[in-house]
Amino acid sequence: MSSNNLETITYKDAITLAMDEILQDNKNAIIMGQGVTDPTSIFGTTKGLSEKYGISRVIDMPIMEEGMTGIAIGAALNGVYCILTHIRVDFLILATNQLINMAAKYKYMFDGSFQVPMLIRAVVGRSWGQGPQHSQSLQSLYAHIPGLTVIMPSNANDILDGYNYAAKKYKGPVISIEHRLLYDLSFYRKKEVDYSFSTKVVQEGSDITIVASSYMVQEAQRASIWVKENHNINCEIIDICNVSNVDHDLIYKSLKKTGNLIVGDTSWLPYGVCSEISRGVLERDPFVLKKRVINLGLKHTPTPTSHKLEKYFYPDMANIVDSIYKLIFAENHKETLPNDDFIKGQQKKFKGPF
Amino acid sequence: MNSDAYEKLFFNALRIRLVEEKIAELYPTDKIQSPVHLSIGQEHIPVGVCDGLRNEDLVFGTYRGHALYLAKGGSLNKMMAELYGKKTGCGGGKAGSMHLSEASVGVMGCSAVVATTIPNAVGSALASKIRGTDQVVIVFFGEGSTGNGVYHESINFASKHKLPILFICENNNFSIYTRVSEIHSYSIIDHAKSYGIETTFIEDGYNLLDIMSKSKILIEKIKNGFGPQLLEIITYRYKQHVGPSDDYNIGYRDISELQRWQKKDPLINDKLLIDKFKPKIDSEILEAIDFAEKSPYPNEEDLYTNVI
Repeated sequence: MSSNNLETITYKDAITLAMDEILQDNKNAIIMGQGVTDPTSIFGTTKGLSEKYGISRVIDMPIMEEGMTGIAIGAALNGVYCILTHIRVDFLILATNQLINMAAKYKYMFDGSFQVPMLIRAVVGRSWGQGPQHSQSLQSLYAHIPGLTVIMPSNANDILDGYNYAAKKYKGPVISIEHRLLYDLSFYRKKEVDYSFSTKVVQEGSDITIVASSYMVQEAQRASIWVKENHNINCEIIDICNVSNVDHDLIYKSLKKTGNLIVGDTSWLPYGVCSEISRGVLERDPFVLKKRVINLGLKHTPTPTSHKLEKYFYPDMANIVDSIYKLIFAENHKETLPNDDFIKGQQKKFKGPF
Repeated sequence: MNSDAYEKLFFNALRIRLVEEKIAELYPTDKIQSPVHLSIGQEHIPVGVCDGLRNEDLVFGTYRGHALYLAKGGSLNKMMAELYGKKTGCGGGKAGSMHLSEASVGVMGCSAVVATTIPNAVGSALASKIRGTDQVVIVFFGEGSTGNGVYHESINFASKHKLPILFICENNNFSIYTRVSEIHSYSIIDHAKSYGIETTFIEDGYNLLDIMSKSKILIEKIKNGFGPQLLEIITYRYKQHVGPSDDYNIGYRDISELQRWQKKDPLINDKLLIDKFKPKIDSEILEAIDFAEKSPYPNEEDLYTNVI
């Protein structure tokens, strides 16, 4: 791989750059959100933009998530493209009435007379004991609704190409669930031509298929390196990317090759992304699998705050490695798993290979 | 005001009254298989407010939207076809009575969830300001919707940003079956004033000329940069909250209240003008029904169009 020749960019800087380009290219594009002009500027992602484009285009909002979303719909109806920011996914819940009853239906219930393109950014706040109301990852709640598009960029390229695609080509409202643990990771910049919100194979392999969303794609890549180095196991990693429109055929094609499936999501298992992946497989051919499916997500409790409890709550690289060994070797395998110190080190130094 | 102006308003209001009376008459045949929230008794407001608006001035409404749709210039044929669930309807059969719209004349949508179009209208007004158009946006809502938090969010933002929007509160006094005084602790006018919004109050919602002339003054003020205006108009709903019938037998209001309003309703009392306009309107309505009945239904493929 000619990675050495490629420039790198962090996930966070990619968000700023993507929004900068959108506002630069479209004078009728604006940013709205609570705190977008304040000194901390949404984890730094809106930094400098109000100075560059003015406070009439980078609008600091009152705490009014539903109203703001309704305003973005009305603005879209009259030719203005809005980027909305929510510093926590948890706050998006207050916008749900406008999202589900209006944004998702504006095109359909008026039979195409109107469209309401917009980009809604919402950040999974996981880290440093954020607890039950500051770290939720609610993709399946919104992906359930026809008319909403929910994306979960797992890397800086999907931010840059995805936000550009959302703002310039996509006709519907897009909810992008960003993950705070990805913010400081650097990625090699590789522009994708003819980008669309689609499920993609990010690493080819013949032994096992790992389907993952958002931050779990990174954990899957770390696990994949571990099992390759220790046992020469080759993982195929599929990034769901567009949670609301999973390419089930792509996953099925991979399973015909590997016969083994692990699904990793940043949220709960019941009625969630993991269930959706299994639905796609079972509807095609339940016998494509050699073994059971292993699903990795959050324990079905609200997010605890203590870091000791968080450790039990969140799946990590070690859980993925363990799952791979269970499927490839045996449920009661005795293989060595990466320990906590190793995992922490990986999380800090990891640089996405794509 | 000259009588030509009055006759025009009267004609538009009577047209809506007769259309809705025909809908009520047709309803038991089950040709219209969807809830209808009739505006009968409240037509005067959208007719007065919308008089003289341009197509590029945008209106947003509620599930009680037949009157607004027609007053702003929506096609009667397309509305009737929509009620019949036909492909030629203004929403291709996906909207029904509660979601009328007609983009070409600035009817930007009606919603079945109370208060939801209020922030949408504010957003369109924000876009008007950002794009430097001289559009005025007008949003119609009932007094019940002012109890919703998003109403507060919307008027705060509109006032702070001095947006070109006219808030029209059609106060028919009933939040479905409950008198609003039993559930709200505030006056709508005083409440809006506390946000720095200029307010106007019309107690007689059946005075077409008064509604029309006051609206024109407010719209002129908005165009001259005075910021959002709120106009509250008292009116009365003759029929059920939803459905084609009367409901004076179920006990939440007395028929004497209806009779007091009917006594001052020009659409009942101005017999001369009714006789003058009714034949023309009746034939237009029959044509619209004929159009609706002869139109095709949407097919299975149409189910999947315009989702994203």
